[in-house]
Amino acid sequence: MEVIAFVNNKGGVGKTTCSRLMAEYISKTKKLRTLCIDFDPQCNFSYQYLDMEIDPAAPEGLIPPIHPDFDPLDPQDADWDGRSSIAEIFYGQGVIPYPTYVENLDIAPGHAEKLLSAESVRRSEVVEKVHKQLANFLNSSDVQAAYDVVVIDTAPSKGPLTISVIKAATHIVIPSVMEEQPVQGIYGMLQLWMQESLVRDKSHPLRLIGILPNMFKQTRLHKDILKSLQENSAMGKYILPVKFSQRIVFAEVDAADSNPRSIFDFPEQHVAKSEAMEVCQYLAERIFV
Amino acid sequence: MSKKKRFGISQALTRGLSETINVVENNLGVYRHIVLPLSRVELDPDNPRKMNINLLDVREGIRTDDPLYQRKSDELEKLKELAHTIKSNGIINPIVVYKQGELYRIVAGERRCLASILAGKQEIEARCFNQKPKAYDLKLIQWVENTAREDLSLYERLGNVKEIITEYQKQFGPVDVTASLLRKITGLSLSQTTYYLQVLNAPSDLQTHIKNGNIRNLDKAAFISGQSTAELRNQLIEACIDGSSLKQMRAMIAQQKVMSRDNRSLQLSNRGRLTAKINMGTTQQVKVIKAIVESVLTHQRLGHHTDHFSKVNWVDLRQTTRAFRRLIEILEVEVSA
Repeated sequence: MEVIAFVNNKGGVGKTTCSRLMAEYISKTKKLRTLCIDFDPQCNFSYQYLDMEIDPAAPEGLIPPIHPDFDPLDPQDADWDGRSSIAEIFYGQGVIPYPTYVENLDIAPGHAEKLLSAESVRRSEVVEKVHKQLANFLNSSDVQAAYDVVVIDTAPSKGPLTISVIKAATHIVIPSVMEEQPVQGIYGMLQLWMQESLVRDKSHPLRLIGILPNMFKQTRLHKDILKSLQENSAMGKYILPVKFSQRIVFAEVDAADSNPRSIFDFPEQHVAKSEAMEVCQYLAERIFV
Repeated sequence: MSKKKRFGISQALTRGLSETINVVENNLGVYRHIVLPLSRVELDPDNPRKMNINLLDVREGIRTDDPLYQRKSDELEKLKELAHTIKSNGIINPIVVYKQGELYRIVAGERRCLASILAGKQEIEARCFNQKPKAYDLKLIQWVENTAREDLSLYERLGNVKEIITEYQKQFGPVDVTASLLRKITGLSLSQTTYYLQVLNAPSDLQTHIKNGNIRNLDKAAFISGQSTAELRNQLIEACIDGSSLKQMRAMIAQQKVMSRDNRSLQLSNRGRLTAKINMGTTQQVKVIKAIVESVLTHQRLGHHTDHFSKVNWVDLRQTTRAFRRLIEILEVEVSA
């Protein structure tokens, strides 16, 4: 089972968009059973696929909706409130993924309050527990049997949540806008990659697929920064040869009443679709060797 | 016309990014940091440090009927000092291990490990090789670990160098390990590696003394092994055991050389430029010149030249020199006539 994570501790670089495109590409085109995991307390990734509940009385943020399989009359569900998020792994509860409108694609949504409290853990012995939870969950035989690929969207942070993703992942992709601040975020992620790589066994390394230029505009700034990264002798080979351009259509499909709802349902010749195909195909080739 | 602005990421960030990538690429999968239960460690019987004390002695105490009781007790005392610092500060550097079956074999850090057990620790931090290191790498790590220690005997160090050379040749073919190659491998100075090689090839008499611990100093051992005859070597070995310094030993040899010079001075040499004149040498002793002049003048054929030298002040170096030259000039005329 491959575990692909999109990470960058700078926000707004397109982690969620990339996660979504990759997950849909794998489930729709490759027909692989895919589990999306939303590890960001903002829960934007979950919102793409589920009607996350917005409750003004719960100021911490979004919570998952009632699960379609929940039956209040079933005695088996007696101890369950009907909602399940990936954050349950921190509370010793089972995670029940939700099906989505995309075939082969399930999601374990975020839960703002629960993820935030996991993220705010600071005591070292508890941090250690948080760090290992996601890996334990993904290594369980149930998950291994049910899915071929896991795609994880992460929080813009270097805290316990992101570290636990790094520990669970087989591959990481670092999306970044070609500007100074997001590139600083690349540095933060490379540090996590380094720390994890040095403690991992050789038999299951954490592969850095590379840095994916995102929201690229044909401006002097973006072109120059991309070029300087490509020309760096150490980093050059990690700068992916594909990129996502700045396109409003990537944002438009996020809207609830968008039709079609997936970029991959656009006509073949649509420029956004062919770009998405090109990038995702490249990433897939690198991941499924 | 204004210059077109060019953008790039800051130098500090570029450097940070490159360095981080290099660290991963250069160290990936070589080893990993673990916290190792001390119950799972075992010592390496081939470690260059020849300690008598073992895990069982530390865990259960040294048996009084142990033939090595005294030596082991001494070693235990030294370990207790280390254990004391470990109790308060822990170990500073992790030990190095690799997995050998159920247990982890120590590549480097035997004393730290034994002392940690003494200190009552349950676990120890370790760098664990993912695979058993090649014999050559293993020797090198143990070398690095032990090279700076003063308490490793010359015999142990020599044994270690010998094993490094053997393992190097096993891995890279039967190359001749020269001093400069050994320097590259171990990082020692050229003079040190030269000495090591010299002592490794030393005659057996010297080797025996090194093994017995009579000779513990590399420089002295190298100096002794450089002597050609067994007699000279024995003299030096005795001097060394009596506590002579290297300087004193050198002086001994220099003296011997002076004494044996007579034999050598008549030997023919064809080095340097063709000799056309005889050099009479120099001396600060005016008496020597005076003695030569007077004894030459006693010859009856030369007696009449005595007047030339009657006014010489034999204390003045210049006058004495001039007088000697005069004597040579006279002799050149008289003898050739």
